[in-house]
Amino acid sequence: MNQANVTHLVSKLKFNIRPTPRRLKNKDGPPGRVLKIQKTLTALFEYERIELFYNRADEVRGYAERLISEAIRRGPEDHEMMDLANFWIIRKEFVHKLFKVYVPRYQDYSIAYTKLHKAPRLYPGIYYKRAVLELRGNPYPSIEQRNAHSNVLLHNLLLSEARKEYRMEKYKEIAESMNEREVTSQ
Amino acid sequence: MFHGCRQLYTIGLRFQSKTHSRCIGTLTKAEAKKKRNQLYDEELKRQRAAVGRIEKIDVKYHGPTEEVILAMNKNLSTPHDCAKHISEGLTKVAALALVNEKPWDMHRPLTGPCDLTFTTLKAPNISTNRAFWRTCSLILGAVAENAFKDDVEVHLHSFPAPSIKSGSFISNVYLNLPDWQPTVPELQAMSALFVKLILRELPVERLVVQEDLAIEMFQENRFKIKQIPDIAKHNENRITLYRIGDHIDISKGPMVGNTSLVGRTTVAAVHKIQTDEGENLYRFQGVAIPSGILMNSFAYGLLEERAKKLNNVSWMPQRIEEDMEEKLTIAAQN
Repeated sequence: MNQANVTHLVSKLKFNIRPTPRRLKNKDGPPGRVLKIQKTLTALFEYERIELFYNRADEVRGYAERLISEAIRRGPEDHEMMDLANFWIIRKEFVHKLFKVYVPRYQDYSIAYTKLHKAPRLYPGIYYKRAVLELRGNPYPSIEQRNAHSNVLLHNLLLSEARKEYRMEKYKEIAESMNEREVTSQ
Repeated sequence: MFHGCRQLYTIGLRFQSKTHSRCIGTLTKAEAKKKRNQLYDEELKRQRAAVGRIEKIDVKYHGPTEEVILAMNKNLSTPHDCAKHISEGLTKVAALALVNEKPWDMHRPLTGPCDLTFTTLKAPNISTNRAFWRTCSLILGAVAENAFKDDVEVHLHSFPAPSIKSGSFISNVYLNLPDWQPTVPELQAMSALFVKLILRELPVERLVVQEDLAIEMFQENRFKIKQIPDIAKHNENRITLYRIGDHIDISKGPMVGNTSLVGRTTVAAVHKIQTDEGENLYRFQGVAIPSGILMNSFAYGLLEERAKKLNNVSWMPQRIEEDMEEKLTIAAQN
């Protein structure tokens, strides 16, 4: 089969982009949508963690992933890449940040570069769901908090003891089977 | 032929009288229980009256966000009463109080000015977990006592110090059934009794009594009568009693505050064990997790399977050392 190998033409993302784009309703129509994305992307590259409406965050996430992965693949010398970065990032200093900070940071990543958390919304307030969008490896303390007591919770103690006992039984079985093998070989 | 029959009959009678003499009391189960509760209530009333003039003490409560000073009654107010002043939610989740950083039952009166904190089963320390396990043993004893018909002689023997690592809480019970192996429906019925008791949301009451009163309360139980003097010798001639509903048992404590703190639970197995005196004892084993902790049924099934194996735990000083080491490693991790 003489089929072209297309794997390197498109960047492989670790994030599933929705088949249909969101319209991000506004009075200027499609150009307004693009402006919204440009603004949010710039803010994301500036602050590394932002809180916004869920829809817009999820939409921008795909653009951020694609932009970073293209920057890693092509590098700053590529003119098309530079045009792309200049178009989506409104302020010049964050284009520099993209190539000087984010590319070295995400070069060896095998997971998505961004992370989306669902955030609570005020009641009674605006109905739309809220979210926190962040770039991984940022300098802030983690949003997710681990239960400090998980080591001493009763069911965890019971489960860890059950695991230990199971393992001991397995070791015994292995030892016995090895003994048997020795006996038969003699 | 008739003569032979009579002989058989007399042999039968003799055998019966022998078994009767072995247990001193002649009361039925229900009567014995009623008498025990009556004595408990009278002693409780007497101890309340003996407090006399009410003195106020300052109890300093250290909460997660606030510090409160409560003026409580000496020898009357319990940590549970303090929790009532703070919030209703706290009274429901607090399992064990720490008075001057020592474990203290929720229903044990405070004896002087002190610092007070509460531990819950979702933020436990090691003594809370042990108290939970001990309480489950106590409830299992109550279940074993109520599970049988009146013609089966049931005497609670003991429950050893709680060992969570062994995977099951236990209660040793004497039954005058020579060779009983419970079927699965019987175990399920006992689990159902356990759950019924939990759903009644009973407080776990505590009372310290003199040795002679304890012996009077446990007249019918020949094992307890032997144990009581030994326990009293090491405890200034006093015995600590715990009561859930109408079930009373001896234990060193501490216990958690309420039966509603027990969540999902199973009576897993009953094994026959032999003691040094050649008595036939049955070891009831069960497993439980605190309420509010949800667990995958497969994972819980693993715990149930493990709880079915005969639990050979007996009190060993090295186990406590291990626990201490574990505590230190956990502290280091945090």
